[in-house]
Amino acid sequence: MEKKKINIIVDGKEYQVTEGKSILESCREIGIKIPTLCYLKDISQNASCGICVVEVKGARTLVRSCISKATEGINITTHSAAINIARKTNLELLLANHPKDCLICERNGNCELQDLSALLGIKETPFERTKPVPKIDNSSLSLIRNPDKCILCGRCIAVCADVQTVYAIDFAGRGLKSKVSTYLDQGLGNVACTNCGQCALVCPTAAIIERDESKEIMADIYDDNKIVIVQTAPAIRVGIGEAMGMGEGELVTGKMVAALRKLGFSKVFDTDFAADLTIMEEGFELISRIKNKGTLPMITSCSPGWIKFIEHFFPKSLSHLSTCKSPQQMFGAVAKTYYAEKLNVDPRKIVVVSIMPCTAKKFECKRPEMKSAFHYWKEKLNLPEKDSFFDVDYVLTTRELARMFKVTGVDFSNLPEEDFDHPLGISTGAGVIFGATGGVMEAAVRTAYEVITGKPLEKIELNVLRGFEGIKEAELDLNGTKLKVAVAHTLKNARVLLEQIEEGTSPYAFIEVMTCPGGCLGGGGQPIPTTWAIRQKRSDSLYKEDRLKPIRKSHENPAIKAIYDDFLKEPLGHVSHELLHTDYIERGIY
Amino acid sequence: MNVNLENQVDTKIIDEIITKHKGKPGELLTVMEEVQEANDYKYLDEASMGYISSKSKVPLSQIYSVATFYSFFNLKPQGKHTIIVCRGTACHTKGSKILLDDLTTLPGCKDAFDAGETSFTTDDKLITIKTVACFGQCALAPVVAVDGVIYSNVTSEQIKKLLENLQEENKDENIRLS
Repeated sequence: MEKKKINIIVDGKEYQVTEGKSILESCREIGIKIPTLCYLKDISQNASCGICVVEVKGARTLVRSCISKATEGINITTHSAAINIARKTNLELLLANHPKDCLICERNGNCELQDLSALLGIKETPFERTKPVPKIDNSSLSLIRNPDKCILCGRCIAVCADVQTVYAIDFAGRGLKSKVSTYLDQGLGNVACTNCGQCALVCPTAAIIERDESKEIMADIYDDNKIVIVQTAPAIRVGIGEAMGMGEGELVTGKMVAALRKLGFSKVFDTDFAADLTIMEEGFELISRIKNKGTLPMITSCSPGWIKFIEHFFPKSLSHLSTCKSPQQMFGAVAKTYYAEKLNVDPRKIVVVSIMPCTAKKFECKRPEMKSAFHYWKEKLNLPEKDSFFDVDYVLTTRELARMFKVTGVDFSNLPEEDFDHPLGISTGAGVIFGATGGVMEAAVRTAYEVITGKPLEKIELNVLRGFEGIKEAELDLNGTKLKVAVAHTLKNARVLLEQIEEGTSPYAFIEVMTCPGGCLGGGGQPIPTTWAIRQKRSDSLYKEDRLKPIRKSHENPAIKAIYDDFLKEPLGHVSHELLHTDYIERGIY
Repeated sequence: MNVNLENQVDTKIIDEIITKHKGKPGELLTVMEEVQEANDYKYLDEASMGYISSKSKVPLSQIYSVATFYSFFNLKPQGKHTIIVCRGTACHTKGSKILLDDLTTLPGCKDAFDAGETSFTTDDKLITIKTVACFGQCALAPVVAVDGVIYSNVTSEQIKKLLENLQEENKDENIRLS
């Protein structure tokens, strides 16, 4: 249905715009740009910065266009001497307490405050600093908060509360002492934060950033005694191009592989391989739970933000989680056992680096239980406990990888395309779509259907599981067995499904949960900005790669067949249990 | 004086407070206020805030946000006696800074205020010194509140005497001016 239109006047000209929008959005609709800072469409309209002020005829003062509705006949002026002075002064006041270290800042060149200063022609910062320099919050394994760079826009608080329902941060104090803080200033690492990194993704400045580990990785790459291998998550191939100056959501798998090789990684592998492995284990786990009347619904366990969320907020429901490790962790465990055996090298020499769209993966790889390869080798090689090592050594976000490419002079867009290495780089279309919400479910169905029914799945593209609706559901017919499944992205939607489970009203057998909006392609480690339009382009690219793959079902991946024949023997078998499955802890809220 | 800093409010009392105010507007503020009052040291201890959060389903970060927004809430144990000096404009022009200076002679107090604190409690948990922005009693400036009673037109001599009396556990009820 066509939405009702209203007549408005902007800068003396008449326009028709959709009714019900803010002045700001109405102006955007007709192509008139009003500068903003704290406002972020669909996330936050805190109206704290005072940059988007306009004049409205009849109004006593300037009005903030982000929170004021455009009404029939409204007469708006978007620039005047008074407006320009107000915008400039408001920005200068914010800049008074913002460090002027743009040259050495992580967000240099990708900072909304910096952009706005240029846009408004700020040439000096006349106001003196009024706040003491606050402490940096280093407590989290995933994220670092530098409150000195915070402009109190409130976006991080809004995304944490409204999109994720985690409420790890809020404003604390008042007036000059206002700040974004965790409970009792304990730091993100010491409260119920899921490390999803959506706060870092929406932060206009460098007040919240990922913990950068690129220096350590470069040191290992330059160390001849180490074999540094890399795995890339599905969502990187549709994000890294963007961060290297190419089009939004551009599919750049081949260039990414070439660039990683140029960087000096000895082997470039694909987390998609491990995603296929996950489908085998998780698919068989689901079948086993259904057959043996195990805990249902079973919920996917690929997304580490989600894992920490359920551990904090719904610890009673942990038995619903699949015991499968995430693809990243399966990869690490396999790389330092199966692949180390193939290479016939000491597993301690292998350094596994993950490129992830995710900040929570940094936390996940340091979970104390993620040392399966060490336990596998411990007796065989008589390793002392002090030599223990993690399955995955480092996690880099898409943004960090882009920085590394730039520092090492990789001419990304002009690189010829290259292929992943064997065998841990061989994957299927099913592995690729893990990066989009609904993808794990679709991949699982492609395999589970054929395993259960013994018949080939005719229509492998399950459109009902695609798209960005918050909770999608479907009923699958597996040879007469009806199976209700659901797919949720964002923790707010996951919470809805969990509450159903705790009330005993969940109608589902299998649920996919992804922490971030849109799935991993909208992860907290992806390029900034990440908007819904950009998420859509990344999603389109992932499904395109799926269509281009000769093999699109995990169980048909020859490398997966080989690892079961040569090493794991069978899904849910003894070796799988030791290397590919895990357990969870009750954390509670603190 | 042996002070138990782990002092927390009995969860049964918190339950009663929450039940009493359930569904009323401004529920959280009232609950927090009464729980603070129920604490022997007149502060919101960590355990009680955690309990309020779990019972009322208000996230901890929001409880902390409220507790730090209002200067009425204390996150540290308070002394037996509390002296609050008004630092509003009217009181300032009538010399409230001098009154505060008289009080910050307590050991450690000046350092705390210089470091940006707005509250200081003596180690023996006998006296707490606080400032507020305005009591709204500007006509009677300078204004000081002692254990909830507001005194007006306070002089330096009076405040010194008051401090002395409080320290000797011999509170002079007659410092109220004529």
